[in-house]
Amino acid sequence: MKTKIKELRARYDMTQEDLARKIGVRRETIHFIEKGNYNPSLKLAHDIAKALQTTIDDLFIFEDI
Amino acid sequence: MKDKIGIGLGIGLVAAVIVTISFFIQNAGEIELNEILSIGVVLIIIVSTMYILWDRIKNVKKGLPAQDERLKLTNYKACYYGFIASIWSAVGSPLISGILFDYELPGHLVTAAVVLCGGLAFMISYFYLAWKGN
Repeated sequence: MKTKIKELRARYDMTQEDLARKIGVRRETIHFIEKGNYNPSLKLAHDIAKALQTTIDDLFIFEDI
Repeated sequence: MKDKIGIGLGIGLVAAVIVTISFFIQNAGEIELNEILSIGVVLIIIVSTMYILWDRIKNVKKGLPAQDERLKLTNYKACYYGFIASIWSAVGSPLISGILFDYELPGHLVTAAVVLCGGLAFMISYFYLAWKGN
C-alpha cells in the first residue's frame, strides 16, 4: 500500500507532528503509515483524509499482489 | 488525564520493583549465579519499562497521546508473545534443567522462569514491533 500523505502534508506545509497532533496519534504512527509499514484502521484513515482535505480513495493507493 | 494516571501507576510500579530488588540484594547474603541472572533479567525489564514511561511522558508533554491504536496493537501482540513464552518456559525450564544439569527444578524457580521469560519476551517483542511499525 502506498500513500500520498507526505505529498499532501507538503502541500499544506504540515510536519508529521502537526498532522499527528491534529488527529490525536503519535508522530511515529504517521511515519510508519507514510512508509507503508503500518496499515491504519478505517477510522484513522478517515481522520487523516479529513485532516488533509481529501478522501481515503485518493490518499491510499492499493496495489494488487 | 487517563494517560497521566497510567504513567503515574507505571512509575509507582517501577519504584516498588526497585525497592523490592534492593531489599532482596541487601538481605540475600551470598548471591548465587542463577540469582544474578534473575536480577539481570529484572534489571533489563526495569530499564525497558523506564524507557517506555519516558517515551510516553515525552509525548504527553508535546500534547500527543501516550498511546494510540498502533501502540495498543503492538501491546496486544507483545502480550501474546509474552504469554506464549511463559507457557513454553513452564514446560521447558524443568525439562532443560533435568536434561542438561540432571537437576529437578523446584517450583519457585519454575515460577521465576515463567515470570522472567514472559517479561523478557514481552519487552523484546514490544521493542521489535514498535521499531518495525507493527
